[in-house]
Amino acid sequence: MLFRSEPSTANRPVGRRHLVAAILVSLCLVAILAATMPYARTPTRNTEMVLPAYAAATFLLEVITSALLFALYNVRRSAPLLFLASGYLFSALLVPAWVLTFPGVFSAWGIEPGLQTTAAIAAVRRLSFPLFVLGFALAPAQRGLRLGGRAMVAPTILGVLALAAGILLAILSHTEILPTFMRDGRHVDTLWRYVPMLALLLYGAGIAVLFARRRSQLDIWVCLVLFSLMIEILLISYLGGAIRLSVGWWAGRLYGLAAASIILLVLLSETTAVYARLSRTVAAERRARQNRLIAMEALSASIAHEINQPLASMVTNADAALRWLVRPEPRLDRAEAALRRIVDDGHRANKVVSGIRTMFMKGTQERCALDLNALAEDAVRAASTEAREEGIAIETDLAGDLPPVIGNAVQLHQVLSNLIENGIDAVKSTAERGRRLVVRTRWEANGEVQATVEDNGPGIDPEVAGRIFDPFVSTKPSGMGMGLMFCRTVIEAHGGRQWASANFPRGAVFHFALPAAILPGSDVELEP
Amino acid sequence: MSEQSVVYVVDDDRSILASLESLLSSEGHAVQTFESGPAFLAAKRLDLPACLVLDVRLRGASGLEFQRELVLRGIMTPVVFITGHGDVPMSVAAMKAGAIEFLLKPYRDQDLLDAVHNGIEQDRRRRAQDSRMAELRERYGAMTPREREIMPLVASGLMNKQIATILQLSEVTVKVHRAQIMHKLRARTLADLVRIADRIATDTAEA
Repeated sequence: MLFRSEPSTANRPVGRRHLVAAILVSLCLVAILAATMPYARTPTRNTEMVLPAYAAATFLLEVITSALLFALYNVRRSAPLLFLASGYLFSALLVPAWVLTFPGVFSAWGIEPGLQTTAAIAAVRRLSFPLFVLGFALAPAQRGLRLGGRAMVAPTILGVLALAAGILLAILSHTEILPTFMRDGRHVDTLWRYVPMLALLLYGAGIAVLFARRRSQLDIWVCLVLFSLMIEILLISYLGGAIRLSVGWWAGRLYGLAAASIILLVLLSETTAVYARLSRTVAAERRARQNRLIAMEALSASIAHEINQPLASMVTNADAALRWLVRPEPRLDRAEAALRRIVDDGHRANKVVSGIRTMFMKGTQERCALDLNALAEDAVRAASTEAREEGIAIETDLAGDLPPVIGNAVQLHQVLSNLIENGIDAVKSTAERGRRLVVRTRWEANGEVQATVEDNGPGIDPEVAGRIFDPFVSTKPSGMGMGLMFCRTVIEAHGGRQWASANFPRGAVFHFALPAAILPGSDVELEP
Repeated sequence: MSEQSVVYVVDDDRSILASLESLLSSEGHAVQTFESGPAFLAAKRLDLPACLVLDVRLRGASGLEFQRELVLRGIMTPVVFITGHGDVPMSVAAMKAGAIEFLLKPYRDQDLLDAVHNGIEQDRRRRAQDSRMAELRERYGAMTPREREIMPLVASGLMNKQIATILQLSEVTVKVHRAQIMHKLRARTLADLVRIADRIATDTAEA
């Protein structure tokens, strides 16, 4: 699955980088061509012995390229790849026959076929490859085409094998009626002139179609292949004077070799890159899973502590109440106080549990258009009793023109409550007069709705400033370190941002921003 | 009981503090609660046999670190640890550092009360011993250098004549010193003196 989603040469769009690389390589090829030109017609002696090595190299390169392309087709299931793979396979299959029949190479073994055989095979190979490439260029690339299917690989290979065998058989068994391409072992006849012309035409057509379409990086590299083949044929048939085993002829052969290697090199480097990416992804996933596991362990330990604490307090209070009651002179007031604390502890434990539920349970995905002002007012009202008891004033400064936001009411309410509660805890720890909290909402020019909770408490300790939104980081004695982490998780899940800053002259400001459901300046009203 | 001892509770959770305060005072203990270690150290503590109930998980320094701090400051009050999530290494460390009990929350009230009771008794014994020792030191301090020189010799069972020979004094002088020593250390018999001398020797060796 991972592999499939990985973009590769065969379907990645053409990037500037690849285009530039391909053009640079073709310029190099032209430069080498220019350098060879003056010596192109010089004949070489006794170079026939190199020919089998050249043929073996070409054969292997083309077979491996075709195997890789068939493998790629198995993954991608795109018809063009099938054409290209077949082209390479067909071309490769003709190579052994070509070199075996080459005049003077294997004469020691007694192989001495007719003069025209090698040329006929060369002509078929020369003209068939660009036809396959044209098939590659013109075949529709859409998936879902009925050509897609694993079963297509075997029939295609069998078909190509049969075609190659049939053509070779025809040529070898009817050597006498073959067209006269060659005058002698080294020089071509006039009829041969049409072969390179036709080949050049086909190469040109292939390059034109591929370059015009440029569906993927592979197209660009195939263009380069055709370009190399063009230079090959120019060297062999025109500059080299169509003389076999001349310097130009050999230089052309080298271009042929280059042409055969281009796609192979591209595919191999692609494969290596894919494997590297794959192993990196796997390692990263394993790390992430490990981290999640550690976080879950720490989280459950923290939750256990957070619930155990009120439980311990409840048990102790209940024990104390019983003891106050069974004394010789029962102290009802003390027993009552202990029972009241049990009630408080029960609520506290419940708060922990419902906090966890808001954070993890179902229903948190339900979203609707919300008025943040109303949520803020609710949260302030809920906190006002505690604030009054502590002598803390909570002021509100809510924007009148606030657009709605899309979100989950329970979660956003919890976020505001957490921030207000944090603010109360912060100012509670200062003894100074004028302890207060300000809750503001604003509509920002960038289309975000922003809410802030300002306190004039001691401010954020610079030591933990960078980590306050991390889990289990708390500056409060009984803090679980989950509140701000929860807030940020919720806000980010709503497509918003959350951050903290310093208040002036002292204290902290906690901000969060959510995307507005309508754009600023638009007068579209949502249903209330 | 409340007048003769006090229980200190240090826990950063206010509701736990309130519940412990109630439980301990229902048994007649005088209780003082603190929300942090530094608050305990800063407070003026009573000069009474005491026991300290300490939460392992405290803001800032942990309870175990706070226990070490107490030892460093020479505060010998016995410590009863309470914790929400105890593990074996943690309890071993606490007991090694001199804690008398390590209780897991939620603990059984009787376990806690027993531990506190034991702690107070241990402290009471230590204080009594300390005060006896202090008295002895005072008496020892009242002796002259010559008397301090003669005391270990008497305690080791030497006769006056032998002591006189060793120190090159007259036997009468030794006899007078000996009477002074017995009087100052309030020892009635030689056996008393031997015991007192022994304790003083241990004390000076420790100091």
